[in-house]
Amino acid sequence: MEQSTADGLQAAGVRRSFGNVVAVESMSLNAPRGQVTALVGPNGAGKTTLLLVLATLLVPDAGEVSVAGFDPVGDPASVRARTGWMPDSFGSYETLTAREVLEFVAAAYRLPAARRAERAGELLALVHLSEYAERPVHVLSRGQKQRLGLARALVHDPPVLLLDEPAAGLDPRSRIELRALLRGLAGDGRAVLVSSHVLAELEETADRVVLVDRGRTVSQQRMADLDLGQLRPWRLRALDAAALTAALDARGVDHGPPSPAGVEVLLAGDAAAAELLAALVQDRVAVVSCAPVAGSLEAAYLAMTESRR
Amino acid sequence: MSARTALSGVLTMAGHEFRLRLRAGRWRWLLGAWFIALAVLLGLMRLALVRSGEEEVGTPMLGGLMLLVLALGLLVVPALTAQSVNGDRERGVLATLQTTLLTPLEIALGKLLAAWGTALVFLAVTLPLVAWCMFEGGVAIGRVAITLLVVALLLGVVCAVGQCLSALLARSTTSAVLSYVFVFALTIGTLVVFTLAVAATTEEREVQQRRFEYTTQIAHPERVWWLLAPNPFVVLADAAPRVEPELNRRGRPERSTVDPLGAMGDAVRETRESDQGDAFASIAPGDREPGGPVWPYGLAFNVALGVGAVALTERRLRTPYRSLPRAVRVA
Ligand SMILES: Nc1ncnc2c1ncn2[C@@H]1O[C@H](COP(=O)(O)OP(=O)(O)OP(=O)(O)O)[C@@H](O)[C@H]1O
Ligand SMILES: [Mg+2]
Repeated sequence: MEQSTADGLQAAGVRRSFGNVVAVESMSLNAPRGQVTALVGPNGAGKTTLLLVLATLLVPDAGEVSVAGFDPVGDPASVRARTGWMPDSFGSYETLTAREVLEFVAAAYRLPAARRAERAGELLALVHLSEYAERPVHVLSRGQKQRLGLARALVHDPPVLLLDEPAAGLDPRSRIELRALLRGLAGDGRAVLVSSHVLAELEETADRVVLVDRGRTVSQQRMADLDLGQLRPWRLRALDAAALTAALDARGVDHGPPSPAGVEVLLAGDAAAAELLAALVQDRVAVVSCAPVAGSLEAAYLAMTESRR
Repeated sequence: MSARTALSGVLTMAGHEFRLRLRAGRWRWLLGAWFIALAVLLGLMRLALVRSGEEEVGTPMLGGLMLLVLALGLLVVPALTAQSVNGDRERGVLATLQTTLLTPLEIALGKLLAAWGTALVFLAVTLPLVAWCMFEGGVAIGRVAITLLVVALLLGVVCAVGQCLSALLARSTTSAVLSYVFVFALTIGTLVVFTLAVAATTEEREVQQRRFEYTTQIAHPERVWWLLAPNPFVVLADAAPRVEPELNRRGRPERSTVDPLGAMGDAVRETRESDQGDAFASIAPGDREPGGPVWPYGLAFNVALGVGAVALTERRLRTPYRSLPRAVRVA
């Protein structure tokens, strides 16, 4: 579903330093409309700084940036009207209630007065905070604040979303809901850029992934292309472990020792796994599961950060 | 963008800030203490005036009250804005505000309006006391209106400067301290500098009088009077319309009532008068016309300061940022 990327989000060769600290050295990324793009990298890689550049808060020292077709430095107002930014922490509104915060933000985005209360209600329902609408934001739990932060980014229904670690502090159910929400937002034709450390989560949410490290883009690709041709551990489990290892030995497939969790083998991608599975079924081994030990994203991430240790 | 959108932006911001302020403080106690302190002082003042045989106590009471209100106001007001920008950054809500469609000017004006509005609430609480002064009689309504207006404007200027400092400085404690330093400089500082400047510009002159020849010292306050002009108390006192002098039995104009504001104002205007080296000119006091008014300069200076402060705040709120102060994160 590759839509026109023209008014998604593009950044090329972005650089930003603070004094003599180079936070972002050279980052490039594309976040097309209709897709969720994951921004992944270790602490201090410069993800937040890049998002601040995209959110019209920092001028890049160098590089080309276009958000929803506008230049965040030259025309920040147009970018702001089309961008929802969720910072990594919600901030403290002291005594305001969740509803009041959203109504204020709606007013700040110049929604007509008649629409503000309604919009706040919709968003609270969307992030499952309706029952906390009248509570002071200050007393909400971390995860609840995080969801309110997402609602705040959505107030003006922007076509581009910049979310800085939205999954941090969310409980398992909320994460699943966040996943569905992000898929839905992308499905509506929005460009969604999420930074996150929850790789397993991104694996199921993201269409594209941008790996960054020490201020640089290491790679940028579609999730589907991530594990092409890479040897990764997969885990097989059968009703009869002995029969499984025997069949693997017979076919000359290297494998680890059998454990209650199953037997690990090294495979190069989905196609190889499917092939092996078909063969095992042919050998009448009762295989009950066959899955990668770690997600492909995690594998790519670990490969990227290998050199660091 | 139309003026109407801008206005609604300012009001949105102001309403938000005002609500936060309203809920944060123990206003009832603060305003109550403010009122009681002023009421007690005003009562004492009245007693003192009556005991000293004053007949028309309204005018001196109003003058004293307004000076007190200004003094207490200058104590309270810096606290209202000293954290309005950097405090928001510390609480992590400034950046999300800046990424909305509110312009930096709307944010600056809205925040200022809320703070100034709070200061005006304090002023409004003193209105019953003003009414008391008027009830005592002899107070022209114009005098009341002008003094209230001047106090309101001066408090607004202090709000604007405090807010500007909070936009310029990263730490809210630093900006709070500096706002008080600013108020100190404006009140005590101008007075000290003026006194020193008068001493520094004093000249020695040889005077020849018949057969005697001696040196005398001639002060030139008229060269440095403008150093006093920014002082809020000077502005207030001098801006208050004078009580019309009445003709006494000998047909000379005489002010019948004590008027602290008028007395201060006259004293300040006198500094604009030059002695022109005529050592004996001051022998006949009261005959000299006081110099021109000082308050227009002082008020203009203060208002310009306030406008400049808002302009600077606006500049500092503009994003995207090119440079950041050390150890400050945007978000
Ligand atoms: N205002 C600033 N002044 C100085 N250094 C900064 C500033 N902001 C960020 N940095 C530095 O730039 C680097 C990148 O920071 P950034 O917050 O972008 O990392 P991040 O990828 O978001 O990390 P995390 O995963 O922990 O959120 C860090 O080394 C950080 O210390
Ligand atoms: Mg970060």
